[in-house]
Amino acid sequence: MIWDEKISEEIQHRLTVFGWICFLIFTLLVVRLWYLSVFQEEWYKEKSERNWLRIIPLQALRGSIYDRYGKVLAEDLPRFRLVLLEGSMDVKEAQRKVKEILGEEIGFQVKDMSPGEKVLIEDLPLEKVIKIEERREELPGILVESYSHRFYPAEEVLAHVIGYVGRITAEELKNLSSSGYEVWDTVGKGGIELFYESLLRGEKGYRKVGVDALGRVRSVLEHSPARLRNSLVLTVDLEFQEYCYHLLQGKRGTIIVGRPTGEILVLASQPSFDPNTLSGGLTTQEWSRLVQSEKRPFTNRATQALYPPGSIFKLVVALAGLEEKVISARTSFSCPGFLEYSGKRYYCWNRAGHGSVNVERALAHSCNVFFYNVALALGPEKIVQYAQKFGLGTPSGLDIPGEKASLLPTPLWKRQNQREMWYPGDTLNLAIGQGYLLMTPFEVYRLLCGVATRGKIYRPHFLQAVLNREGKLIREVTPVLEREVNLRGETWDLLLKGMELVVTQGTGYACRDVPVNIAAKTGTAQNPHGKDHSWFGGFFPVDQPRVVFLVMLENSGDGSGEAAHAARRLIDWFLKYRGLTDEER
Amino acid sequence: MRNDKILLCLACVLCFLGLVAIYSVDPAREAGWSMQSFFGRQFFWNVFGWSLFIFFALIDYRVLVKLGWLWYFLLLLALGAVLVFGESDETGARRWIFSQSVQPSEFAKIILPLFLSFYLSKNRENIPSYALLLKSGFWVFLPVGLIFLEPDLGTSLVLLVVWLGMLFISGFGRNHFALVGLGLGGIGAVGWSFLKDYQKERLFTFLDPWKDPLGSGYNVLQSQIAIGAGGLGGQGWLSGKQSQLRFLPARHTDFIFASWCEQMGFLGGVALILLLGFFIWIMIRIARHAPDLEGKLLASLFGVIFVFQVLVNVGMNMGVMPVTGIPLPFVSYGGSALVVNVAIVGLLYNIANSGRKKVAKCRFRWDYQQ
Repeated sequence: MIWDEKISEEIQHRLTVFGWICFLIFTLLVVRLWYLSVFQEEWYKEKSERNWLRIIPLQALRGSIYDRYGKVLAEDLPRFRLVLLEGSMDVKEAQRKVKEILGEEIGFQVKDMSPGEKVLIEDLPLEKVIKIEERREELPGILVESYSHRFYPAEEVLAHVIGYVGRITAEELKNLSSSGYEVWDTVGKGGIELFYESLLRGEKGYRKVGVDALGRVRSVLEHSPARLRNSLVLTVDLEFQEYCYHLLQGKRGTIIVGRPTGEILVLASQPSFDPNTLSGGLTTQEWSRLVQSEKRPFTNRATQALYPPGSIFKLVVALAGLEEKVISARTSFSCPGFLEYSGKRYYCWNRAGHGSVNVERALAHSCNVFFYNVALALGPEKIVQYAQKFGLGTPSGLDIPGEKASLLPTPLWKRQNQREMWYPGDTLNLAIGQGYLLMTPFEVYRLLCGVATRGKIYRPHFLQAVLNREGKLIREVTPVLEREVNLRGETWDLLLKGMELVVTQGTGYACRDVPVNIAAKTGTAQNPHGKDHSWFGGFFPVDQPRVVFLVMLENSGDGSGEAAHAARRLIDWFLKYRGLTDEER
Repeated sequence: MRNDKILLCLACVLCFLGLVAIYSVDPAREAGWSMQSFFGRQFFWNVFGWSLFIFFALIDYRVLVKLGWLWYFLLLLALGAVLVFGESDETGARRWIFSQSVQPSEFAKIILPLFLSFYLSKNRENIPSYALLLKSGFWVFLPVGLIFLEPDLGTSLVLLVVWLGMLFISGFGRNHFALVGLGLGGIGAVGWSFLKDYQKERLFTFLDPWKDPLGSGYNVLQSQIAIGAGGLGGQGWLSGKQSQLRFLPARHTDFIFASWCEQMGFLGGVALILLLGFFIWIMIRIARHAPDLEGKLLASLFGVIFVFQVLVNVGMNMGVMPVTGIPLPFVSYGGSALVVNVAIVGLLYNIANSGRKKVAKCRFRWDYQQ
C-alpha cells in the first residue's frame, strides 16, 4: 500500500504538470489561429481569390464588312479552342489525357494566351467539343473556350481590298499600346482591315468567374460582354467583283471598275491569296512560301505594281497637245510606219503606216508617229505637267494602305537619278507610254476617271457608309472633289470623240456593238519581262459617264486582244445584271 | 455538474459539430441521409459508436484492464493481418482490412493504453526502474513497428507518445527520459532510412511549403489559406471558397479544422479549440479522481492521446506541424476513429463513475484493511 500511495502522490503531481502543458498547447494553438485568421486575414484572402477568382478577357468583336448590297465580306464567327489553366496540370500530361479522350492523333498548337492560360488546340470541331465536355471530370483545368474568328466568305476574290487580321506584333503593340491594345489582340494587317482598324475594332469585355479546383466555372460574378462598335459598308459590288476576278483566272493582272465620282465597284488582282488561312495563323513555312512565291500573290497589282502604261498614256499627250494648241482638230500628220528623227527611225506599231492621221484617228488607231510629233513639239516637261494636273505621281488617298505612285520621268529626274542627259528618244518613248514611264493601273484608272468627268478629279474610296452596333447609319461617304483640271471644252470633245472612235473604228473593236456608247483606249506595253502587257480602259456612256473600267493583263500581248475581250465581257455582264438606270437599287 | 456528465455532454457536442462540419463539405451532400454521403455514414458510425459507449460505460473498466494481454495479442494479430491481407488506400499505404471499412491501427489507440495501464499496475513495485522502462518499451515497439511498416507514421507517433506519456505520468525521472531520448534518437536515425519518399517530403514541406506550392506543399498552403480567408467571423456555413470549390484537399478528414475555420472564422475555430481543451481538462480531472492506479493511468493516457492528436491535427491545419494524417478526434470523418473515440469516452465515463461512487467505499475498505 505504501507503493500505491507514493505513486498516487507522484501521479497527482505529474497530472498537474500535464494540465499546464495542455494549457500551454491550447494557448499556442489559439494564438496561431488568431495570427492566421485575424492578423493575416487580408493576405490569405487575396491568396484564396487567386485560387478561385478568374478574370477571363473576352476578345473584342470586330465589326463586319459588307458590300454595297449588304453581302458579307468579313465577319467574326465563333470558334472553340481547348485551353489549359496554368498550374492545374503539366502540359505533357494534359496532352496525353486529351489524346486519350479524342482517341486520335491531334495536332497540338501549344501557345500562350492571356496570362495563366495556354492554348492546346485551336479551332476545335464541335463534335470534339462535345467529347471533351462529356468527360469533363477527367480533365481538371482544361476548358473549352469560345473565341471569335475572322471569316472572309469571298476568300481570295477580294483579298487585296479587305486585307486580313492577325495577332498583333511587338512593333505594332508598341505603337498602339496607348489605345488599349494587348499582346493577345488581333489587328488588321492590310487593306480595309488595316486602314479602318480604329473603326472596326470592337470593345473588349471580360468575365469574372469563380472556378473550382478542377478549373470548372461554378459561378459568373460579373459579365461585361465584348461588343462591336461599327460595321462598314463598302462601295464594292461583290457579285461583279467575283465575275471580274474570274475573268482574270489563270492570268496575272488587275481589273478596276468604278464610278467617276470615286466609288470603286471592283478591284480585282490576280494571283491572290486566301485571307482565311492568314487569319487562322500560318506556319512559318507556309508564310515564307507565300511571300517568296514568284507569283507575288500579296502584291495588289492595281495599286502596288508599276507598269509601263503603253498607248493609254497617249491620252495625256493628246490633251496636252490640244490644250497647248500644238495641234488642233485639223492638224494631221502623215504616218509612213516610222518617224525619222536625227538619222534614226522610230517605228509605229503598224509598220505599214497609217497614212494621214488627225488626232481622232490617231487615238482610234493608236498611231505612234502622230504622238511622236506632238510630243516633240510639246517637250517632256509639258507632258509630265499635264499628267500631274490629273494627280498622277502622287498617291490618290485611296482608303487601302500601301498605294504606290507613278514615276513620271523628266530631264531633271533623269539627270538626278540616272546621271544621264535626256535624249529626244526619251521624249518619243514618253509619247507612247514607254521608256522610263511607270504607272500603277490604279493611276491609269484615275486618269480615265478624270477624262470621264471632263477634269473633275474625285477622291477614290471603298468606304460607303459606317453603321453603328445597332446597324444604323452613322456616316455616309459623299464624293469629295479633290482637284479640277480646267481645259477648254473643245479639247475634251476631241479627246472623247477619239476615244469613242477607238471602239467603233479602231483598236477597241472587241467592244463594238455594245448597246451603249463607250469611250476607251487600248495599250500595248513592251516590257523587259516577256510578252507585252495588255491594257484596255475606258468609260460609258460617253455623254454622261457612269462607269469607268480598266483591264490590265501582264504579258498577254496586244491591248486590243485579251484585255479588250475581258473588258467586253465585263461590260456585257454589267449591262445585263446591273444596267445603267436601275443599278442604284 | 459532475465530471461524467460534463464529459458526456462535451463528447456529444463534439460529435454533433463533426457531423455539421462534414455535412458542410460533403462532396456527396445531395445523397442525403444515406450511406452514399459522408455525413450519412458518419451518422451511422455515431449511432454504432454510442451503442458501444453503453457497453464500455457499464462494464467495469478493471475487468477490461485485467484482460490486457488478450487485447494486446488481438491487436498484434489484427496489425499482422493488415500487413498480410491489408488493402491499400489512395496513398498506397496498407491500412485497411474488411474492404476498407476497418483501420486496425485506430484500435491501437484504445488497446495500448489499456495494456500499458494493466502492465504498469501489475509491475507497480518496479516504478520507476530501467528494467520496467525497457520491458514496457519492448511491448510498445512491437505494435508501433507494425503500424510504422503499413506505413502509418501518424498513428505510430501517437502510440509512441502514449508510451512517453505513460513514463511521464507514472513518475519516471530525468535519467530515464535521457535514456529514452538517446534510444529514440538512434532509432530515428535508422528509421529515417526506412521512411517512404512521400513521408520525408511531407516533413521537408512542413519547413517550407512555398518550395512546391502545387506539389507537396499544396495541402499545407491551401489549409492555411482557408483558415486565413475565414477571417474573424468566417464566410458562413456552406460557403467557404476554399472548401466549397475544392481547393482544400481532405477537407472532410485531415483538414476539417481548416474548412470549419473558413466557414466559422476565428470565433468558430476558437470555440472548437476551447471545447477540445475543456474536454481534455475534464479527462485530467477524471484521472485525478480515479480510485486506483489502473484508472488513473488509463484516463491520463487517453488524455495524452487526445492532446497529441489535437495538437498535431490542428497544428498541421495551421501549418505549424507536419502533415501526418492524424484526424481531429470526433470531428474528422472516419468510422474507426470515431468508434474508438466514443469507446474511450465510455471508459472514461466508467472511471469517473466508479471514482465518484467508490470513494466512500474505498475509504471504508482501506480503513477496514488497515
